[in-house]
Amino acid sequence: MQNFGSNNELDEKGHVLNEQPKIKVKFEPKPKPSKCPICTIEYYQQFFNIEQRDVYMRIRCSILSWKPEFHQCVGKNPDLWGPLWISTTIIFILFAGGNLSRFLLEEDKKHFKYEYNYMYVAVLIVYAMAFIIPIILGVIMKYILKSELGVFDIVCMYGYSLSAYIFVLILCIIPYNEAQWFFLMCGLANSTIFLLVNLWDFMKKNKQTVLIAIPIISFNVALILCFKFYFFRLIYAVDD
Amino acid sequence: MDYTNQKHPQNYSQMEDLKTLDLEESVSETIMRDLRMIAYKLKYVLIPKEQEDNGKELRNWDLWGPLIFCLALAMTLSFKADSTTTSSKSDVFAIIFVLIWVGAFVVTLNAQLLGGKVSFFQSVCLLGYCVFPINIEAIIIAFIGSYLPFVVKLIPVIICFAWSAYSSVGFMASLVPPHKKKLAVYPVFLFYLFLSWFSLIV
Repeated sequence: MQNFGSNNELDEKGHVLNEQPKIKVKFEPKPKPSKCPICTIEYYQQFFNIEQRDVYMRIRCSILSWKPEFHQCVGKNPDLWGPLWISTTIIFILFAGGNLSRFLLEEDKKHFKYEYNYMYVAVLIVYAMAFIIPIILGVIMKYILKSELGVFDIVCMYGYSLSAYIFVLILCIIPYNEAQWFFLMCGLANSTIFLLVNLWDFMKKNKQTVLIAIPIISFNVALILCFKFYFFRLIYAVDD
Repeated sequence: MDYTNQKHPQNYSQMEDLKTLDLEESVSETIMRDLRMIAYKLKYVLIPKEQEDNGKELRNWDLWGPLIFCLALAMTLSFKADSTTTSSKSDVFAIIFVLIWVGAFVVTLNAQLLGGKVSFFQSVCLLGYCVFPINIEAIIIAFIGSYLPFVVKLIPVIICFAWSAYSSVGFMASLVPPHKKKLAVYPVFLFYLFLSWFSLIV
């Protein structure tokens, strides 16, 4: 009796001989090498290879800025989660807190005009400080001044240096001039000391590398001046 | 062919069979069917008891629902915005619209970069549907907010914010490995906080 329907081997009586176990082969197409590796998601996944405990440790390193422990915390694993979400939190606090601070000062609370421009300016300033400036500095340090630190190490460091401003800017909602200046100065000191202490190994190499401290300090000072004179400016009623 | 006597589909897969016949039906039929689909998904996303199959229903993602809620929120808030200058109305509309879509995009990208294996649009769809409670609170505050003191206005804001966040957090947290859950959930929290803040202050 012929069996046309089966592919298995048959013995004389037509019974199926040793059924081969069906092996499922998963066909995975080879990933095409991208022309632009920086443009793929896979490239950036290496910078999100951290756990919530790591983020907590790095923020702690940044708040206790006088201890040069950041490189130990980070190891070979700079991350972009911290810079991205710390800067976004600061944008929210600037937008909400800046307007809240003006609202508390306003006498005519019913006709308070909310300034939506704060949103655009906050996004511009904070993302420039958290990403554009460290990328430029990192490229200069790595390719011109021959630093061992990569560009993303510097971006990571700058991002976490802004973490002190989260607390500082919440406190700046208090609408008193002196209090705001005090808190902003504390934030400036913390952030700048953190950056300088952790870059000290690089800076002490020679006279040229020390000069990197100048842009670092000046950009931080410019940042708090923006905070004070745009977001938390105090408008005093003028008596005629 | 007469479709008006058909029973309402009990689940979404039955709705799929009807899709092949939509060229022959009237426009109102198509629109009602799409609205029923959106309502079904909304109930599924926002009421935790409905999710017996662990979010599999979300594989049938759509962006109509998120678009409707986004436009409704942007229009409610810009309608309520300070009417002394036209630019602040358009500012509010633009900010809310961009915030919702860019925010959903960035939060989903964040989850993917942390190692979450999820379809991009599935996650955007979920985040968009969870904007609905914020819509409710914006409408409440838009109509009766001026008669209430600030503290009383806070109550629906906090309730709706918590409802939105709770609905989406379960899904987002399930996407990533256990030690990264807070890293995936915090952006969701920030996203809804931003939107709730807008509905409170406008």
